[in-house]
Parts: sequence; structure tokens; C-alpha cells
Amino acid sequence: MAFPDLLHPPSHTSQSSALRLSQEAPRILAKAPTSSLPYPLSLLSSSETEETWTIYENLFLSCLRTGDNVSARKCIDHLTARFGAVNERIMALTGIYKEAAAADTAALVKVLDKYNEAIQADPTNMPVRKRKVATLKALNRPADAIASLVELLDLSPTDAEAWSELSDLYLAQSMFSQAIYSLEEVLLIFPNAWAMQARMGELLYLSYLSSPADPSTLSEALRRYCRSLELCDDYLRGYYGLKITCQKILENAPKTSSKAVAASEDLPPPSPAKVEKLHELATKKLAEIVRRASQQEPGWDGYDEAELIAARALLDRDAEVIVR
Amino acid sequence: MGQPVVQTIQRDPALFYWILLPITVVMILTGILRHYATILLQSTPKKQPLPNVRQHRSLIRGVNLRQNGNQLSPSSFQNRRAQMVSDFKEGKFLADPEGRGKPRPNPMTDPAAMEGMMGMMKGQMTMMIPQTLIMGWINAFFSGFVIMKLPFPLTPQFKSMLQSGVGTRDLDVRWVSSLSWYFLTLFGLQPVYNFILGSNNSANQVTQQMAQMNPNPGAMGPDQDPDKLFLNEAENLEVMEHRWILDGVEDRILAQLA
Repeated sequence: MAFPDLLHPPSHTSQSSALRLSQEAPRILAKAPTSSLPYPLSLLSSSETEETWTIYENLFLSCLRTGDNVSARKCIDHLTARFGAVNERIMALTGIYKEAAAADTAALVKVLDKYNEAIQADPTNMPVRKRKVATLKALNRPADAIASLVELLDLSPTDAEAWSELSDLYLAQSMFSQAIYSLEEVLLIFPNAWAMQARMGELLYLSYLSSPADPSTLSEALRRYCRSLELCDDYLRGYYGLKITCQKILENAPKTSSKAVAASEDLPPPSPAKVEKLHELATKKLAEIVRRASQQEPGWDGYDEAELIAARALLDRDAEVIVR
Repeated sequence: MGQPVVQTIQRDPALFYWILLPITVVMILTGILRHYATILLQSTPKKQPLPNVRQHRSLIRGVNLRQNGNQLSPSSFQNRRAQMVSDFKEGKFLADPEGRGKPRPNPMTDPAAMEGMMGMMKGQMTMMIPQTLIMGWINAFFSGFVIMKLPFPLTPQFKSMLQSGVGTRDLDVRWVSSLSWYFLTLFGLQPVYNFILGSNNSANQVTQQMAQMNPNPGAMGPDQDPDKLFLNEAENLEVMEHRWILDGVEDRILAQLA
């Protein structure tokens, strides 16, 4: 396949490659996937493969990302011609196009009304329900977005994507315990998702920062990061979180030691010596990752540029403290 | 005592062109035809009504909690378990709360179940009809022909497999009759279909029959009472033992990396 990037969902493609893809769009769209012959003959001459429609969908999203609405319109036309306008997925994709093309809030509200109609006509239409949540979020109505997401999750409580979106929405409202609850649901569905374990650590850390009453949150955050590192070696975000959490615990150590016994019914907090060791380990590993990734050693690529910079900044901050 | 006498039969080479090849070609073509016929006859699966979706997924959520509960901290797990067990026992997620405790309706009178059975019937028909026709065709035209000789020796146990339709006791096992060739192609063409149609084809009835024996074991059967399933799951959750996976994770990490 000439465009390997097009076979993955575009949320993982970088900004630059999305731009490159959408520049290729006219060339890809020039090759019609379905033949123009009448029905029985068209079976013989179509060049459709399983990947064709994945490519079209991802191309569509890349085009919207880069603002090429004309090519996006062509993609969605091809998709509609193939699967029909009442297909759930096509309805959601058409909705995305309309959202992107909406010039002002009034137009966006009109799209939202369309979604409501579609949901009334077919209450099982999950893709459109999700679009509705996204539109409400775009309209800056987080309470409504949360309400409709909770409704969706009552109907379909095994949808990890929706749970993690709900967790993000709650987090944006600083409702930490709800956000943590939602993320726990994601972990129940995908227990080995290391990114989610680390995310859980981040949420716990943030919730500790907002209300630093309960030190057991911090030790759970520490353990979540450890779990994510156990599942995925050299996970930059995990080490980063581990380091700052250890720092926080060590900072608090003299204060908490007096009342450490009272807190935490789940597990006793790790001993200061262990935290110290973990901190050393995280610092060592972070330095190694930053060094190797910035020299672009083979097997050490694929780290996010921004995350590397943040990790380096964290290490530098540490170094300054030592110099002083 | 010399070498065992090698049986030779003077065969008309036309047997090869007019029996062996036609049977093979016809069998392959029927397979392909059957593949496309099944695709055409497939009815799109009907959408489940919303309450049923909710019932099914809520049950799966219970199963998830049981299987992956170790991911949660003990306090959070206890809360969830208490909540879920009481909900399951009350039947909060049932699609049909009034139908609790009543016996399930007879599947023959249920129109939804009838539809499923029709689909199965259709699948059976696409297998049965061509099979009967070809079998009749071979019996009518080619019965009793010996059409080829295998290039390797075999034990006499294979006689019934390779020489059906030929009633000679002393014939060497290596000779294959036309009816047997039909059976061999019937069961042995799956790789050929895989090559022509791709691996996920429905050309061979044998594999299809095997698939029908256990239609997706994970799904809730239509004749199971959902209320019983929920009560069952609540019981499983109640007796479950919880061990937090984060217990001692920092020691594991230190042992692994330091």
C-alpha cells in the first residue's frame, strides 16, 4: 500500500503527516473506487479492497483536520454512495463534516438538532450519540455533554471510549472522584492498558494537588505509575509521573510520618527508603530515555517530541537544585 | 515367490478427460457458486432493541468486574460490588422487568426466533440442493467407472473409501472409482476454495456444519432466562476473592529494573 498512514485512525498520525496526506487527497480521490457500470457488470470491474474504505475514512478525517473541506466532501460522497446515507457510521461521519463546516454557533446548534432527530428515530445509534456529546462539548455545554454521556453509558456500560471521555469531561470540571471512577471503569474493561494506568496515576496526583488531605492518594498514584511501567518498559509518561510523585512524597515525608498510620485503609504507604529508590530509578531511566531518543538511536524512536522536552526540563530542574 | 503381481487395467484415456476432469471442475464451480449464494441469501442481522442491548452489556459489565476487579483498590471494589450485586438482584437492568420469574415463551412461537431458524434453513438448503443434484448426476452417468490409479500403495482399509460403487473384491486399493472421487473432492477442496475465494469463504459445507454446531458460545442463548443469568453473576461476585494488583508493585518494579 502506498499510504500506510492511512490505515491507522488519524488521531495517531502527527500534524505534519496529516498535512502530507491531505495534500495527496486529490490524487487518491481521482481513482474512483466503484465503477460506473450498471449493477451486474460493476461487480466485474470494481477495484474495491478491504482497505479502500478505511483509507477513505481516514483521508476524510485528515482532510478535515487540515481544513481541506472540498476533498473531505468528496470522500464523504464516495462513502455515502457506497454504504447509503442511513448507515450509522456514515451518519456520524457526515455529522463530523457538518460540524467542521459550521460557520457559527447557530449552525452548530442546527447540527445538534439533526443528531437529536436521528437519536429519536433510532435510539440504538451509538455513533451519532457520541457525536452529540462531542458537539455539546464544542458548544461549551459540559453539563449537557456529561448528562448525555451518562445516559449513553447507562445503555452501553461496556464502552471504554465513552468512559474515558466522561473521565476527561469530569476532570475538566475538577470533579476528581467522578473522573477517577470513570477511569476505573476503563481499567475494568481493558486491565492491561498501560496508558490508562498511567493516566489513573495522573488523575490521582492531580486530585491530591487540589485537596492535599489524604496522602494515600499519592501512594496509590505512585503504585499506578509502577503498574504502567510493569506493563510497558521504557514508558516515558510513566517514569515522568513516577518521578514527580516520588518527589512530592519525599517533600511531604516529615509532615506525614506523624499521622501516616491513621490514613489509608487499602494499603500502607511505601516506606521512604523505597520511595527514594524508585525516585533514583525513575531519574536514571528518564535520563537514559532522553539521551537515547535525542540521539535517535535505533529502537528508541517514536517518543513524542513534546514529552521528551518536558522530561528534559524536569531533569534540568533537578540539576539546578543540586547545583544550588 | 516373486513380486506381487501388479494389476493393470487398460483404461480409455478419455475417462480422464470426460469423467475425472468434469467432476473436479463441477465440484469447484459449485463451491464457488455456493459461496456467492450464501452471501446473497444472508439476511442482515436484525438490530437488537435498546433494552436488550442494555441488559446484555450490563451483564458483561458484571463479568468484567469479576474478571478484572483486581485492578481496583479494595475500597472502590467493595463499593462497586455492593452496588452491582443489589442492582442485579433487583433486576434493574432487565429488558422486561415484568417478565421476571415467568417461564420463557416457546421459541417456536417467538417470531424473532423463527427468523433465526429461517436463516439456518436457508444455509442448509444451499448445501443440500447442489449436493443431491451432483450426487444424482454422478450416479446416473458415471457409476462404476474406475477412473484413476493412485501413485502410492495403500492398506485395504481404504477400499471402502476409494472404491465405493465398484463391487469387485480383488481390485487393488490404488484404483479410485468415480463416486469416491466425488467424495474426496467434497471433503478435500477447502484449500482450493481458500486459494480462490480467500480464507473466510462459505464454500465448503463441512466447515459450515461445524460452525453451526456451536454458534458463538459467548453470546447469551435465546432460551436462557436473563434474570437467572443476573442472579448467577451476582452470586459469583459475592463469593469472589479480591487481591489488589497494585499490592507490592513497587517491589516488583525495583526487583525487575534495579
